[in-house]
Amino acid sequence: MDVNKTYKGVALQEVLTLLQQHENTSKVIAGGTDLIIQLRECKVTPQVLIDVSSLEEIKGIEIIENRVSIGAATTFTQLVNSPFLNNGLEGLKEAAKSVGSPQIRNIATVGGNICNASPAADIIPPLLVLDSELYISDINKSRTISLEKFLIDKGQVDLKTNELLCHIQFNNIKNNQGLGFSKLGLRKSLAIARISVAVWVEVEENTYKQVRIATGACSKLGVREREVEALLLGKPVEEKTMQLGAEALKTQLEKRLAGRKGMEYKREAIQGVFKEALTKATYLSKT
Amino acid sequence: MKKINLKVNGVDYSVEIEEDVRLLDVLRNQLRLTGTKEGCGEGECGACTIIMDGVTVNSCMVMAFQAEGKEIITIEGMATKSGLHPIQRAFLEEGAVQCGFCIPGMVLSAKALLDKNLTPNREEIREAISGNLCRCTGYNKIVDAIDKASKYMGKEGDVNGI
Repeated sequence: MDVNKTYKGVALQEVLTLLQQHENTSKVIAGGTDLIIQLRECKVTPQVLIDVSSLEEIKGIEIIENRVSIGAATTFTQLVNSPFLNNGLEGLKEAAKSVGSPQIRNIATVGGNICNASPAADIIPPLLVLDSELYISDINKSRTISLEKFLIDKGQVDLKTNELLCHIQFNNIKNNQGLGFSKLGLRKSLAIARISVAVWVEVEENTYKQVRIATGACSKLGVREREVEALLLGKPVEEKTMQLGAEALKTQLEKRLAGRKGMEYKREAIQGVFKEALTKATYLSKT
Repeated sequence: MKKINLKVNGVDYSVEIEEDVRLLDVLRNQLRLTGTKEGCGEGECGACTIIMDGVTVNSCMVMAFQAEGKEIITIEGMATKSGLHPIQRAFLEEGAVQCGFCIPGMVLSAKALLDKNLTPNREEIREAISGNLCRCTGYNKIVDAIDKASKYMGKEGDVNGI
């Protein structure tokens, strides 16, 4: 580890100034549950660490008009326990609950999960289907970008070295909308997702008026499955529609993972995981 | 080098640290609180579990400088002059300890649970220790012990709580 200077940030402006000063030699640390391992394995070699885990300005969950705003330094435990997330968003809580172990959820952050950009990151698929926008700042300006555009490649995001991800925002869920999440891991706790699926639906007169689907660990990134979404649009809420989606996802995976280890397993397994997520989303849209 | 201030088991410490060390290293090597164990060093096993500001964390995944101003409880902070903490007593009585390496972490995960919920069911107990691996016991006796401890603590109140 090359770290020889550390700062524990207490104010956003101060952190942004530090990031500017140490632009090429620093790394932001929040929960540290991914970064500390990477540091110890010398996969990243910053000289300066800037801790944002105590930055109140980017912690916690707020509802601003009809938008939900999640501070990037909010821990998964805080997300799971938040009284501000209503039932329709159960899938977001479920994804947060499926992260690591209690010890990891107590310290690991939503922003960290996004910026680390693991293909298997648990919180990314539900945030993708919520059409999340990210609020990013540097010392001079702020910008917003959709989560989908922010994710560039495995472990690679559209964030400059002097920038900080501050908030994640999305439209609050309405009564006839629901968000479902399902994850396949090798065990319940401490399991890295083999497959995860998030489904967001709006149901009107027993028909899917809007559908958004995202998968995790099925690509080099968490991705929206737009072709499958288009297929389900306007279809009635019934078993046949669910089967149609499941088979379309199977085809997607066959194409995307062609020649890769695990394709044969994943193309079967994704169908069940998808059906579970869609069933949950549909149920939540009706309650 | 950097000086950090933190409270461990009710005692204020001011410690000179190297900036690249983990909280686990400071606890074990500088404060000599070797009850906190290092197992995997990557957050899988929970042997290094401590309570920081009321919640459990893996001390191998916290940089020491991040612990500035934090309140920490380690296994050494559980027993008092009047004796073992009810959780420790229950672990001994139920035979929940075999090799013992995971036990400090187990006890702290149990404390974090029981501090919030004095009447957990077995499912909740299992969930609370899901980040602590034990290769000896098969967990049943540990769950029995935590269940028993919840009854002790319900009766006595958490007399040893810090």
